[in-house]
Amino acid sequence: MDNVLVRDSISDLPESIIETILTKLPIRDAVRTSILSTKWRYKWANLTHLVFDGKCGTLCNDKGPVEDNLVKFITRLLFLHDGPIHNFSLSSAYLQSSPDIDQWLLFLSRKDIKELVLELGEGDLALTIRAPNLKYLCLEGEFKDICLENTPLLVSISVAMYMTDDIAERFEQSSSCNFTKFLGGVPFLERLIGHIYFTKYLSIGNQLGKPPITYGHLQIVELYQVSFEDMKEILVVLRLIVNSPSLEELQISGSSNTSAATEASDLDFGGKECPTDCTFGLLKTVKMTDMSGVPHEMEFIKFLLGNSPVLKIMSVTPSVYGTDARINMLIELLRFRRASPDAEITFIQD
Amino acid sequence: MMKSYIWLQNDDGSIQQVEQEVAKLCPIICQEIHTGVGSSKQNPISLPPQVNPAMLSLILDYCQFHQVPGRSNKERKSFDEKFIRMDTKRLCELTSAADSLQLKPLVDLTSRALARMIEGKTPEEIRETFHLPDDLTEEEKLEPLKNMTDDPRIRVLNRLYARKRKELKERDKLKNVEIEEERVDDRSVDDLLSFINGGKGDSKGVKTSKSKKKNRRRKDQQKNASSNCIPISDYDCSSNNAIEVHTKDSKGLNSVCHVGKIHNDVGEMLKLQDVEDESFAPEDEFDDSDDIDDGIDPAMKEKIDREVEDFARRLNSDWPERMQEILSLGQQRRPVSTATVPQGDVQKIAFIYRKIHVSVSSDSAACRILD
Repeated sequence: MDNVLVRDSISDLPESIIETILTKLPIRDAVRTSILSTKWRYKWANLTHLVFDGKCGTLCNDKGPVEDNLVKFITRLLFLHDGPIHNFSLSSAYLQSSPDIDQWLLFLSRKDIKELVLELGEGDLALTIRAPNLKYLCLEGEFKDICLENTPLLVSISVAMYMTDDIAERFEQSSSCNFTKFLGGVPFLERLIGHIYFTKYLSIGNQLGKPPITYGHLQIVELYQVSFEDMKEILVVLRLIVNSPSLEELQISGSSNTSAATEASDLDFGGKECPTDCTFGLLKTVKMTDMSGVPHEMEFIKFLLGNSPVLKIMSVTPSVYGTDARINMLIELLRFRRASPDAEITFIQD
Repeated sequence: MMKSYIWLQNDDGSIQQVEQEVAKLCPIICQEIHTGVGSSKQNPISLPPQVNPAMLSLILDYCQFHQVPGRSNKERKSFDEKFIRMDTKRLCELTSAADSLQLKPLVDLTSRALARMIEGKTPEEIRETFHLPDDLTEEEKLEPLKNMTDDPRIRVLNRLYARKRKELKERDKLKNVEIEEERVDDRSVDDLLSFINGGKGDSKGVKTSKSKKKNRRRKDQQKNASSNCIPISDYDCSSNNAIEVHTKDSKGLNSVCHVGKIHNDVGEMLKLQDVEDESFAPEDEFDDSDDIDDGIDPAMKEKIDREVEDFARRLNSDWPERMQEILSLGQQRRPVSTATVPQGDVQKIAFIYRKIHVSVSSDSAACRILD
């Protein structure tokens, strides 16, 4: 009697609400709803936002089964999925380079993927991404190679690239230009963030002349762990910012081996890479962090100060090591000519 | 200061007056105000049908609290927590009403509350909470591809069902002629096919894997004429899976003596079985190997087929003796060629053995593992 009157009020809620609810569940719980009742059987299959993280796998110390388990789960789930997938996020330290990842990416590219997040562990993964609707890309892990082959709509890229020494050595022999392979086809890029070995990765390969495209929409660039003693890495940064007329915010974090850096040759900013009349017309904020005060770093700051007519803030944070260099840094900073009368130079000590 | 009011009309026709600042939190109402509606009693804003007077009152309470600018995040959060304490029916109604007014923060809040009621619960608990009908057939619930449940009770249930199904099939097989045998196969697969077709339009991938299953089954059954045919072929396929994993990872082990290799294979397979959340009898593992098979080149496939046949033959011939060997080896913890069989694997091997054969060489360890 009571049961007849008590209605199931959740199953008939609009699809958008069901999706909101299921997206707030860990993916396994969401898939499990398929055995609740006939109405729920395929509700999970229309999820457009799939998140696979550490909570997916079973707790196990043995890496092999956990990886297989996760691979199977994701593959099976993708097979059963129905409809577009707009967001796909995979974070697993267990997942090494796996041919499955390539297959998943191929599958996702046909499912209208717009946002892709891959945070992987160790491995030797060569990644090729062809996803015509992809707008947001976030990668983290140990990659042998990353190639953005068909991603014309990319708006935001964030890459944290780990590298072991032998991979770095292998890179030196590569002949293809990584800068072009990675940034050659992203004309609508608005935001670029690179961590750890990303700048080094981009610096490898023959870089002749101007990059193939101008980054007309690029507003924010954040590059961490840039080794200023490596001329090639500095050239990558220059190449990028010189061809980004809309650049507003720049953050560079150094990682200089000071002994090598102080002996490095003088930086020639008037070379092929940047014409002397180069102006950063919209650059307003520059943050230089982890600065060791080595010549290349100071030259770079001087270059920015002298060519940014609307600059508001130039903040310099010294690295925690080598406190002796700070005084010299300050003395040099004082001297630099500023193109912008409003520019404020702040030296951040903690 | 003069407060401005607007007029809202419920779907039952009643009209009420509400502070504009409060109601403006709802985008739909905001839009209507901009077009001039709601400023007088004669021209009220018509609320969507999902908003009945009770829900409107709740929503207005919510808006009333949150539109005050000075409140701290802590205050807002604690209000929210108290606000959503209501029965599930009202919570669902409220979600629907908030959604129709596009009041996103409230939709998020109620959705989160509903998600919390689902997360971590068993299916029975969820059905009870939301009064869902338990209208899936047992077979639908056990459809392995769709049922990825952690619940140990369901796992045991599934194993019992799988065993029962196997027994029934065996019984049917023994009764009928070979033609019938094939029909039994067709039925079970067609059942699944029609079920899948009858549901939503399923992906082709699933269909192909099922028909592959049909062919594979027939081939394997023709090879093994014994009455233990089905279990062995299932086992083959599972070990097929294991061998794939095996060869993918460690090519070097091919040179190892056979005994060691079997142990590794079985160990691998069983690790997979036990670690997996899904509820499976070995025959259900089949689907995975078919899906994964697609990525393997023909040469490797042939190699695997040969290994499977070899394995099957060996299993059929000297399984009881081998079983003893494994068990005694495991207990002594002696390394077998280059691989050691961990104690856990030995017990798992024994469990599978028991599953396949009715009688078991009663080793106390073997008996203890069944959960």
